[in-house]
Formats: sequence, structure tokens, C-alpha cells
Amino acid sequence: MRALCWNGINDLRVENVPDPEIVNPRDVILKVTMSTTCGSDLHFIDGYIPTMREGDVIGHEFMGEVVEVGHEVKKVKKGDRVVVPSFIVCGNCWYCQHDLYSLCDNTNPKPEVQQATFGQPTAGIYGYTHAFGGYAGGHAQYVRVPHADNDCFLVPDGLKDEQVLFLSDAAPTGYMGAEFCNIHPGDTIAVWGAGGVGLMAMQSAYLLGAERVIAIDRFPERLQLAREKAGAETIDYTQVDSVVEVLREMTGGRGPDACIDAVGMEAHGMGLEYAYDRAKQALHLHTDRGEALRQAILACRKGGTLSILGVYGVMDKFPLGSIMNKGLTVRTAQQHGQKYVPRLLEHVQRGELDPSYLVTHRFPLEDAPRGYEMFKKKEDGCVRSVFIP
Amino acid sequence: MKALVQDEATRLTARVDKEQLEKMASVVLGGALLTLGLQRRSLGGTVMALASSGLLYRGLRGLRQLTSSPRDRREEGARTETPSVQHAITIGKPADELYRLWREPGTLAQVMSHFAELSTTSAEYTHWRVSGPLGQDLEWDTRIEEERAGELLRWESVEGALLPNQGLVSFRPAPGNWGTEVTLHLDFQPPGGALGEAVMTRLLAVPDLLVNRALRRFKSLAETGEIPTTERNPSARQGAHLH
Repeated sequence: MRALCWNGINDLRVENVPDPEIVNPRDVILKVTMSTTCGSDLHFIDGYIPTMREGDVIGHEFMGEVVEVGHEVKKVKKGDRVVVPSFIVCGNCWYCQHDLYSLCDNTNPKPEVQQATFGQPTAGIYGYTHAFGGYAGGHAQYVRVPHADNDCFLVPDGLKDEQVLFLSDAAPTGYMGAEFCNIHPGDTIAVWGAGGVGLMAMQSAYLLGAERVIAIDRFPERLQLAREKAGAETIDYTQVDSVVEVLREMTGGRGPDACIDAVGMEAHGMGLEYAYDRAKQALHLHTDRGEALRQAILACRKGGTLSILGVYGVMDKFPLGSIMNKGLTVRTAQQHGQKYVPRLLEHVQRGELDPSYLVTHRFPLEDAPRGYEMFKKKEDGCVRSVFIP
Repeated sequence: MKALVQDEATRLTARVDKEQLEKMASVVLGGALLTLGLQRRSLGGTVMALASSGLLYRGLRGLRQLTSSPRDRREEGARTETPSVQHAITIGKPADELYRLWREPGTLAQVMSHFAELSTTSAEYTHWRVSGPLGQDLEWDTRIEEERAGELLRWESVEGALLPNQGLVSFRPAPGNWGTEVTLHLDFQPPGGALGEAVMTRLLAVPDLLVNRALRRFKSLAETGEIPTTERNPSARQGAHLH
């Protein structure tokens, strides 16, 4: 089959690879109908996350049609049209039983790598480094999905691919980030980053009862989507002296009740702190640029919540004193998608959420490297590239 | 069984003297552990990647310091350090059930298949075969020395094994609804000699990974009925998925 493969830093190629096979009895094989780029892919494409191997098939947001079914699969059937969360989860372990799906104990075949770096290993992800299991990803004609009964969600008839594709990651991640904020009536939620995850977080905050959502970004087209699609007020951080001050003024001096970081380790920023982060990252003294996260901490009202969705590695200059003295609650996780996909499907069916506007650029799978290039450089207003095998 | 092993040893000694035999055992074991890093079902590729960042190295050194006893350290200069490894894992099943699963024919072979080929020859005896480089194998038999249903199981290699070793698995109820805390302990007594020492010192970290991964595999088997794998994983580079 054809698949998009990582071959080194900033070296993606579409190549011939062997077809996936049923290996374990709870596996299914999916014929991928659509897949999409994610900002977190840029971290290993740019070389900030180790443990990629030349030839790895990448891509963790995808959907498709079931074409082959392992003998222990009970619910999923050949011909089903399904969307698949990016984390592979067993459904049986303590973490899965407690809705903490991305912490699943039983799906990372290479647990020692994360055990050494994080203390305990997390679940496996499709196409996202060998530290996260080394599973082949979904930018391919076919993909193997383990534990299919837990990990495949049937797409209701009448919904288009682009309406449900983002339920694999961007939408549940954003929804989880908003849920972390423990939103009460009247709450103001600030969201750093108006990419796929950030926009989904903004819309989810409204679905969960927020009164106001404020988006922080610098790309005009993304700020426009935040206003027009997500109903947010916006701050272009390149046009203000201090995001923290602007937020304080917008909220009567209190600060937002909760702040969501939907940016992660490759944040852009302005001024000296950004220059410091960028230099240290370039020298591999740390992996992360934390400008957005630091702003969120300083901006958040006393006793508020900091919801971190951005993917981080190792970061210093983390203003813990601000968190401690202001009594902030920090909530964070990789997405527990399996918890949120059913309710997100309902929102989509009822017309309360339609993530299809995130699709700004479509490519055949053969042009996926170009799709990533445009996505990375945000060329032509690219929010998400999608690939159709 | 014991006779069989002795026959094998006699047959080998007919060709090589004792010292050579020990060296060979070291090399075969070392090779086997090394091939963990090069072969299918292996740890090495990923380990190497992280080791280069220095993170895993620190993690493993920490484990090594935890697991080597003062006696081991004292004797370090004199003789090859004895790799003695212990890890614990929590599994969401009752101890009795886990004990029964461990005792089922076939379970241990599945759980250890990243390291050795196991065959159960009787209720007490298990045959272990570790593939070495250049087609050399290291084989031994273990016999169950102690068993307490639902609590523990202890085995030892039978007399004459080139790589004497022993293992202990114990099951203890975990607090709350966590299930059972399972502890696996493995001891290897590698043959002496400079070569054996060099090999074992260089590879001391590996038994850690072996025990850790064996426990994780057992847990996944117990909790989900299967062991996670990237076998036959599509990749554009032959062997890339093998790490």
C-alpha cells in the first residue's frame, strides 16, 4: 500500500509499505477514507521528540471503513464506517475503567522508554514515535486498529467524513480541555492557540456553559475563524504590549476564570523570553518554548484553572510561584478520546458542532508532504490539511 | 531431565574445555541480550534512541543501584557482578486467578517470548532456549522448587546449567480495587572470567528490561487476553518496525 513515511527531520515521503495485517485477535483493519495533520506531528517532524525510525508511517487522526476483523472482535463489523481516537486503549485496565484512557496500561509495547523518561508508561498512539509504542499511523491506505471494540466508533449515517474526522483527536482534546475548566455560568475562558484543538476547545467551552471565550493567536485567518466559527473575542498578541494586561482589562481586573493552552512546545511569542526559549531549544538545552503557557499562568484569575492541552517535553522557567500563590488548579492530559467521542457524535448529529470548517486544504495521499509543508508554514491560511488515500 | 542436561554438558565438554565453555556461555548470553536490541521483539532500537539523549541511561543506572545489593557491589572487582533484578506491577485481577494464569501451560512462553523460547516439559520443568549470535543457543531447564497457590512460585535452573539462574514470582493483594501486586525476581549467575565479566557489565541493564517487560506482558495478557505488539507493522524500511 502507499503511506506517508518519516525519513528524518523534515523529510516526509509517500512510499510503498507492506499492508497491515490482523496480528492480535481484537484487531481490525481499516481502509482509511480520510486523515489529517496535527500540530503535535510537527514536534517529531522538526526533531524535538526522539524515537522516530526511518520508514515509520505517521498520522494519528483518521477514519475509515472496516475491511477485516479479528476473531475476538464482538461489536465492530466489516463494512462499518468508523472514526478512531488517536490513543490505542484496552478498555479493561484500571485507567480505562476510570475514563483515563490515554493512560491505558496495556497498549504500549515498548513501555520501558516512557518508564525511564516519565516514570510510568502511557498508552500507545498511531504513528507517533516508538516511545508511544511505534504503531504504524493512519496516513496510509490501510491501518491496523487494535482493541477495535473499544477504539472504533460507528459514524451515524448522513454525516460527512470531514464532520467526524476531527473526533479522532482535535475535537475530544478540545472538549476535554474545556471540561477540565469546570465551567460555571458566567465564566470567561481564554484559549491560547486558534488551531484545530484551540477552536474545538472554544466551541466546547460554550457547549459546557461558558459566557465568554477569548482567543489568543497571531494569524489573522485563525483569529477570524475563532470569531466567526467559535464565537470568541480575539487578541492578536503581536498587536498588544502585554496579553496578560489586555486579558486583565477585558475581565474587570480579575483575569479569565480558566486558561487553556492549546499550543504546546513550539509556541511562538515576542520579545526576550521568546528569544531565550528559542535559543535554548535550538541548542537542545530544552525541548520546549513555553511562552504561551507562561502567559496563561500569569493571566489566570486567582483560584482559577489552568488547562494544558499543548504537548510538552522538558521545560524550565515554569513559574510555579504564580500557580502556588494564586491557588491555581492545573489540569492536563493527553486526550481521553474514548470518553468524549459518543457525546461529540451527538453534538455533531444535532448540528451543535460542525468541525468540518477546520478542513482548509485537501490533498490526495500522494501529496501529503506538501500538505504538511503548507500546514507547518500556515501557507494560504492552512488550518488543517486532510489526505484522501 | 537432570541427566539430559548433564549429557548435554558432557557432550559439549568433549569438544571444549571448561574455560572455553564458560566463555562461550558468556558470549552466547551476551549475544542473546545484545540481540534483544537488534532482533524482532526487541528493546534496543528505542533504548538506543533514548540513551543517546541520556535520559534512559540515568533511569537504568538508578534501577541498577536499586537492584544490586551491597554484596554485589563489594564483589564487583573480584568477580562478575550477579545480575539480580526485581520489579513489581499491579494487575487488576485477583491473586488466585493470576496464579492460575501463570501456571497455565503456554503463559510463561508467551510472556517471555521477547527473551527466550520456553517449553513446559512437565508440571515442574520448563525448558528455556535463548538464541545467540551466529546460530549459537543457550539452553537450560528450570524446576519449580516452591509453590504456594495464589501466593508465590519459585524456580531454579537444574544442576549443570551453563548459566545458573533462579526466579521468583509472588502475588499479593493490592489496596482498594487495584487487584494484585505481582513481583518478579530473576537472578543470573553468569560464568566467571574476564570475558563474562565484560559482557555482563556492559549488559547489566538488560535483565532489568527483561523482567520489566515480562511483567507488563503478563499484565496485558491477564487484563486483555492479548499482548500489545507491533509485529508485522507496516514500515517503509525493512526492519524499522523491529526496534
